[in-house]
Amino acid sequence: MARSVRSVRPMSYVFRMPPATGAVTGAPDSSPAVDRQTAGQERGEPEQRDGRGEIVAGYLAPHPPHLVYAENPPQNEPRSQGGWEILRWAYEEARRRLKERHRPDVIIVHAPHWITMVGHHVNCVPNPRGTSVEPIFPHLLRYHYDFHTDVELAEAIVDEADAAGLVARRMTEPGVRVDYATIGALHLLNPDWDIPVVSLSANNNPYYYASAGLDDMETLGVATRRAIERTGRRAVLAASNSLSHLHWDTEPELPEDMAAEHPYNNHQYRWDMRLLEAVRAGRTKQLRTLIPEHIAQTEGEIKSGSLSWMLSAMGWPEVPGDVLGYWTVIGTGNAVVEWEPMRTDRSATPAAHATGTQR
Amino acid sequence: MTDPTVAAGTSSSRGSVSTGGAPGDVVGVALVPGLPHLLADDPAPSWTALADATRTVGERICAASPDAVVLLSTQWFTVLGHQFQHDPNPRGTYVDENWYAYDYGHLRYDYPVDVDLIERWATGTERAGMQARLTRYDGFPIDTGTIVAGQLLDPDGRLAVAQVSCNLYAPAETMTRLAELGVEAAGHLGRRVVVVAVSGLSSGLIQRWITPDEDRILSAEHDRWNTRMLDLLTAGDVEAALAQRAAYAEAAAVDAQGRALAFLAGAGLDGVRADVVAYGPIWGTGGAVVWWQP
Repeated sequence: MARSVRSVRPMSYVFRMPPATGAVTGAPDSSPAVDRQTAGQERGEPEQRDGRGEIVAGYLAPHPPHLVYAENPPQNEPRSQGGWEILRWAYEEARRRLKERHRPDVIIVHAPHWITMVGHHVNCVPNPRGTSVEPIFPHLLRYHYDFHTDVELAEAIVDEADAAGLVARRMTEPGVRVDYATIGALHLLNPDWDIPVVSLSANNNPYYYASAGLDDMETLGVATRRAIERTGRRAVLAASNSLSHLHWDTEPELPEDMAAEHPYNNHQYRWDMRLLEAVRAGRTKQLRTLIPEHIAQTEGEIKSGSLSWMLSAMGWPEVPGDVLGYWTVIGTGNAVVEWEPMRTDRSATPAAHATGTQR
Repeated sequence: MTDPTVAAGTSSSRGSVSTGGAPGDVVGVALVPGLPHLLADDPAPSWTALADATRTVGERICAASPDAVVLLSTQWFTVLGHQFQHDPNPRGTYVDENWYAYDYGHLRYDYPVDVDLIERWATGTERAGMQARLTRYDGFPIDTGTIVAGQLLDPDGRLAVAQVSCNLYAPAETMTRLAELGVEAAGHLGRRVVVVAVSGLSSGLIQRWITPDEDRILSAEHDRWNTRMLDLLTAGDVEAALAQRAAYAEAAAVDAQGRALAFLAGAGLDGVRADVVAYGPIWGTGGAVVWWQP
């Protein structure tokens, strides 16, 4: 029987998933997903099938509704006093880079709260619009959304996923409510919503058990890249994930009371730092082993596969990720990170090598 | 959060709230599935059996003439505190984010909420040291499980509902305590209630699009575990079933890790033999309709 949330790891089965076989065994190249990749991808180079489409950047883009709530955008009904500024300032820098440097045709987001029980679904509705009242955090997020889907690319991703052997489906039903992980990441990256979007579901389930392994997510990443190349898009990817994910089971009377905000425990924090140090050092291929370990140690939300999907799509590039900010939200670890897979001039952060976080 | 005082006494006129019963009387307890396949135009045999069984339980509930239904659906899951549905009359259409392509993926709902009971229950929950939040927002998405169960148990939408969310971080003991507090709140108001949990058993979904006639429990182990637990309930040994809940959850990927059973235990099931009205697969998962007459 479970015990007190604050004294033990509280949800022994809720967010646990079996790690990807290949990644855990330390023999990542044997995984089915990697078998499908080319030698160029093995070197961390995105496959260029026709030389047109490309992934110009990928962001780890956490979606806690608290960040949207704290910003008080006109699209969201609740009002706040602010809060979580470090993460929101990180997003401000990401927004600037997105508009000034990357100038993408499309942002593709994989989000863990569009939960699909069977298969990987891609939103192919041309103009999703409505109000998303979030059932878990309705007091924080009641967001009026209205954006445009890159339908051609969305359909191409479904086709490529299907060709790769995944169960995939076009979602063409405008009545399906857009989830907060999709809205959160996309709003925080581009509150103007003036760049077309493709959103992908997560084939896992927090009240059942996870069903899609990380190897499936890697396959989905490769399929996504192929679709981008085939359609000639200049794409930015967004992995809508927090890192460590144990958190409080209650909240302060004022949700944005920052006096209550800190890591759930030091173990979670250290594991987040361990992962981020590998990111900052550009040891991207190591992440294929580290991600499942991080999930096992912290019930990490990256178990939904968004980060693995994105890094696989970019070919696990051995370039440093730029950690724009890290902080906690209700105790979970959240980092805004940018990768530019084609950029080789960004050097690894020296401190990342020097600190050497220990288990 | 809506100020409770604003909505006090605003129970829907369709809610058959009375004060004639014995305080806190639990006149029935039920576990029913919440997957929408039970409403399919072209159902699998097991979906038909489970739907018919749920309707049968609905008839038993109707015969018991409760004032309200104390409800938990594992598909309204939350993570911070406990949310209590405070809208006096949720109504609308919900399009399921997974099953939208099927006829059963578009669901209409319109039912009354026993607002007085909800407020009393939420207040009691706070007093018991837990965090409670009243939830009343236009456009709030009612979950698939609540709608499916409602359509089968109470197709005319007459029964007043008092619903709490399923906190996936809450220990099993907390879920039991929540139901006890719901029954206590009903007792303070003189309500006769049925306690219902909407949840599956094993939750191993078949990971492809199947035709109804292909439906099977995903694995023999899941089937064995489901049967073992249902046998314990039939024998009236809820205590033994709860003692095995964690192992069951691990072995059979149980919906919400068995929090529904823990919740129902709070209705007072010690020694009460269950009537397993139906058991069968829903897209690989285990579904059961179970009735207890305290």
